[in-house]
Amino acid sequence: MANETTVKANDMSDEFIKKDRMRYVKNKLSGNLAVLSIILNALFFISIYKSNVGQYYYKPLIGGSIVYNLLFMMIVFLVSEGSKNYQINYSYIAIPVALLQFARIFIYPMMAHRATTLTTGVEEQVMKDGQFIRLVIYLVCSGVCLLLSAVIGIIKCNNLKKHIESVEKV
Amino acid sequence: MAQLSLQHLDKIYDNKVQAVYDFNIDIEQGEFIVLVGPSGCGKSTTLRMIAGLEDISKGHLILDGKDITTLPPKDRDMAMVFQNYALYGHMTIYENMAFSLTLRKEDPNIIHKKVLAAAEILDLTSQLNKKPNQLSGGQRQRVAMGRAIVRNPKLFLFDEPLSNLDAKLRGSTRREIMLLHKRLGATMLYVTHDQTEALTLADRIVCMSMGHVQQIGTPLELYDNPANLFVASFIGLPPMNFFEVLVSGDKLIGPHFEAEMNPEQKDLLASYQGKHITLGVRPENIAEGGTIPVKVSKNENLGMNTLVHGHIDGTAAEGKIVCKFRGWCDYKDGDIAMVSFKKMHFFDKETTNAITREAQV
Repeated sequence: MANETTVKANDMSDEFIKKDRMRYVKNKLSGNLAVLSIILNALFFISIYKSNVGQYYYKPLIGGSIVYNLLFMMIVFLVSEGSKNYQINYSYIAIPVALLQFARIFIYPMMAHRATTLTTGVEEQVMKDGQFIRLVIYLVCSGVCLLLSAVIGIIKCNNLKKHIESVEKV
Repeated sequence: MAQLSLQHLDKIYDNKVQAVYDFNIDIEQGEFIVLVGPSGCGKSTTLRMIAGLEDISKGHLILDGKDITTLPPKDRDMAMVFQNYALYGHMTIYENMAFSLTLRKEDPNIIHKKVLAAAEILDLTSQLNKKPNQLSGGQRQRVAMGRAIVRNPKLFLFDEPLSNLDAKLRGSTRREIMLLHKRLGATMLYVTHDQTEALTLADRIVCMSMGHVQQIGTPLELYDNPANLFVASFIGLPPMNFFEVLVSGDKLIGPHFEAEMNPEQKDLLASYQGKHITLGVRPENIAEGGTIPVKVSKNENLGMNTLVHGHIDGTAAEGKIVCKFRGWCDYKDGDIAMVSFKKMHFFDKETTNAITREAQV
């Protein structure tokens, strides 16, 4: 997480302390935002297939959707742990994953929302407006949290790097 | 820093067992007090009563003029260091040290300053990002001390903090505690059963046995002028030799030896003429050359000193003696070493109290 350069406690200004704390205190904000992103994604995944409109979802895409959700949770968990420990690469990985969350709106929720199916002779929408809006909110919030986690992580990692360099110079 | 006064403290458990009897002491600001005694003598109970971890059955505890007898532990402004360190395994050293301040919701910047300052004092700066299981026993104990230091308490309480360490680490950590006391100038109470720790660390020692305070004094007072047989036997390594002797004229007559008394000693024991008393002689106060024969049973060379175990006259179990001679000796089993007593302590046979505080031959 941080190197072990000695800094005299008495020689510190408040601004310096704020940066110096990063050497010993984990980046909990980034880590927690990433975890929140996982939770919101889980809520999305729990809600998406709730349907009573026949066999619309019975196609190969559902398998891909499940596999991607598992991958997402694993990757974002690693991002959470990495960014907690100021590992900037994990924050970089989080950016495309966050953008994919926005892109996902146009796959299943949007497709299902537009699709109709015949149930006992009556044409019905596969995904009603309420469910669609809820799913979009989950995905957007999940993406925003992950993006924030990445941005905060990158800023803090750079600040810490600069701080350590300045301390080492002294 | 704080002034602490223990007034007539008693501890009686629910099952009516009394662990501490009438404990009285006034501790000055910045003093280092060591409670010493064998296991079960009530020293840890006393410390826990001071910390508020045990209820006080009778008596009063006064800290800086304020009665804190019934105050809960969190409000007493004391920090305790335990034998088993009591560190949180899932937290880093930094988090462990900062934990109590975080609970108090102190400003994180101030916490950081205090933790770094304590880490500097204890030479733990390079270990702050590690977990407790990555540190040695001595380092963990330093972390436990650091956790106490950051709180800047009025009183430091140590409950056998070095007992889990090996002999070498114990020595170095003991020196660190000494330096810490000098540096902080804090009032400290330290519990141990190790007399070496007590003698080296303490400004004053409280020697306890069976819940009773036996003697309170400086290390030198306890060593040179033990108040009774218990203190005399507990303080000093190897322990003091004891013999039952008859006071007769200017002589002390033992089972197999006679020792001459000087006029001062004769005067001191005037009221004991014709009576039996207990004579105490420290092994280091026995010198080679003299009139008392010791039949050697074991010769232990320690480098600078030699411990010679044997029997006076070699005939009776009650005449067992340990002598500590300077330098290297080569006595064989069965050899007779002639010795003399350089300093003697006298104890009343009935009361076991010291008859005099110091006697010189």
